Amino acid sequence: MEKTTLISLEKLNQLRLTDEQRDSVLAFFDAQSGRLAELNAIDTESVERMVHVMPIMTVVRDDVEKKLFTRDELQKGAPETLDGYWQVPRLVD
Amino acid sequence: MRYETVIGLEVHVELATESKIFCSCSAKFGGEQNDHVCPACCGMPGMLPIVNKHVVDLGMTAGMMLNCDINRTTTFDKKSYYYPDLPCSYQTTQLFSPVAVNGLVDIETSQGKRQIRIKQIHMEEDAGKLVHDDWSDTSLVDFNRTSVPLIEIVSQPDLHSAEEVIAYLERLRSLLRFARVSDCRMEQGSMRCDVNLSVRPEGSNVLGVRTEMKNMNSLSAIERAIEYETARHIDAIENGTEELVQETRRWDDLKGKSFSMRTKENAGDYRYFPDPNIMPVVIDDEWFDRIKATLPELPEVKKARYMTELGLGEYDAQQLCDSRALCDCFEQAYAVCGNAKEAANYLISDCMNMLNKAGLTADQLSINGESLGKLIKLVTEGTVSRPNAKKILAALFEQDIDPETYAKDNGFIVSNDTDLLKTVVKAVVASDPKTVADYKAGKEKVLMALFGRCMKELKGNCDPQTLREVLIEEVMNS
Repeated sequence: MEKTTLISLEKLNQLRLTDEQRDSVLAFFDAQSGRLAELNAIDTESVERMVHVMPIMTVVRDDVEKKLFTRDELQKGAPETLDGYWQVPRLVD
Repeated sequence: MRYETVIGLEVHVELATESKIFCSCSAKFGGEQNDHVCPACCGMPGMLPIVNKHVVDLGMTAGMMLNCDINRTTTFDKKSYYYPDLPCSYQTTQLFSPVAVNGLVDIETSQGKRQIRIKQIHMEEDAGKLVHDDWSDTSLVDFNRTSVPLIEIVSQPDLHSAEEVIAYLERLRSLLRFARVSDCRMEQGSMRCDVNLSVRPEGSNVLGVRTEMKNMNSLSAIERAIEYETARHIDAIENGTEELVQETRRWDDLKGKSFSMRTKENAGDYRYFPDPNIMPVVIDDEWFDRIKATLPELPEVKKARYMTELGLGEYDAQQLCDSRALCDCFEQAYAVCGNAKEAANYLISDCMNMLNKAGLTADQLSINGESLGKLIKLVTEGTVSRPNAKKILAALFEQDIDPETYAKDNGFIVSNDTDLLKTVVKAVVASDPKTVADYKAGKEKVLMALFGRCMKELKGNCDPQTLREVLIEEVMNS
């Protein structure tokens, strides 16, 4: 793993590592790379992708609208609401 | 140096379903805030999604309309990102096995005909809506739109100009509306588009730095944004005005400029992984064949048939083929009255006027085509006059009625009583000697005034040709 990739992951996960911690993480990933290379060397061309551990398919439902809950019921546990909205700290892109 | 613009589009289309993709809440646009919500679409712990079968129907339909291969085992994946309008902190979407892949869409521009390749169509859930409240310095969250079903249509980077992009989007909209996949109303956000654009020297096969403009929902804004962004890229390459970076940008149509929003994420940033809560959706032959059998005749095929088999002009045929609802109503009406031109006229002029006045689109036409056909038959057989037919049509627009019964109940059947006709004509002619004199002096147009008054006295219930003949005879003999 490149150091820039690690820094990007830190940012995404809201982590801040020291240089020492970074070196340790990078060393760990380097150690795994040999194992990954072994896995990548296996020819999986003709192997069908496993989409689920169980050989089962999903159930589907008919497109029927049902109202099962009221807004008040759902907002009972909300820390803050305003005029039927959930209220959260300000966020502007 | 000459440059080539390279554009790929990601088009989000809200599907025409009654309920959401993974729960039974209403998928309708609008409504009171947080009125179409339940624990599942609010992302409350322990709730599990159940796939709406009609979403898969419409995903397959869209794929077939765009000449795609349908993945007979299609799976859902989780795309992780945090934002308050996404209560699960992940979006359920499709990455590894989308419902449809490898399609083709025909477009036509001033440069001729081309085919645009479709990379994939995947099904996914929409996010909620945030309202920023300046008064309380907070953001307000409405989850009504959360989990409303979408398909995302991803094109290959085959487009090279704003004109091609508009032609492509119009073609998508026409096909998806025709197949009743979506109403594709850009102004309501049920069709919106992310534009991925880069610029490279003409003849080069290396792609330039790509920027993405998200959530564009007007064709004219898309056109302006593409032209601006192309010029910005060329300026940066030629004059070094700025360093181009891969990023997401926001188009401000009022300012006519794009602004940087954030550095573009890559797939790895979203930590995609198969959704363990949703088993694979397996489309068996029966399901596949059922959807295939429901595909409509393509608009251009219908248009050609209307012109060659039914004798409509190109304008009329095109007007009808802009809407599946107009086509369906036209075909039902024609099957009853056998008069294609009359059926087309009633739909294109009278019905469209009524729809416009009611603030509705052609796709919202709900007139029963058989009833319209019966009405046209009454008119062409001379049983109902054209002015009264308009009144019957207005009633038909409100509710499905039998035109003949309605005409009888309201005194709209043309009278065969020639004595009454002659009596009315005699009285009108006798009451206006000046107009009679003018007509006799050669002012033929004034006859229309007398004609109109007779028609009014007879409440429109007479054959116009017979009235005209009787009127001229009476005027000349008076």
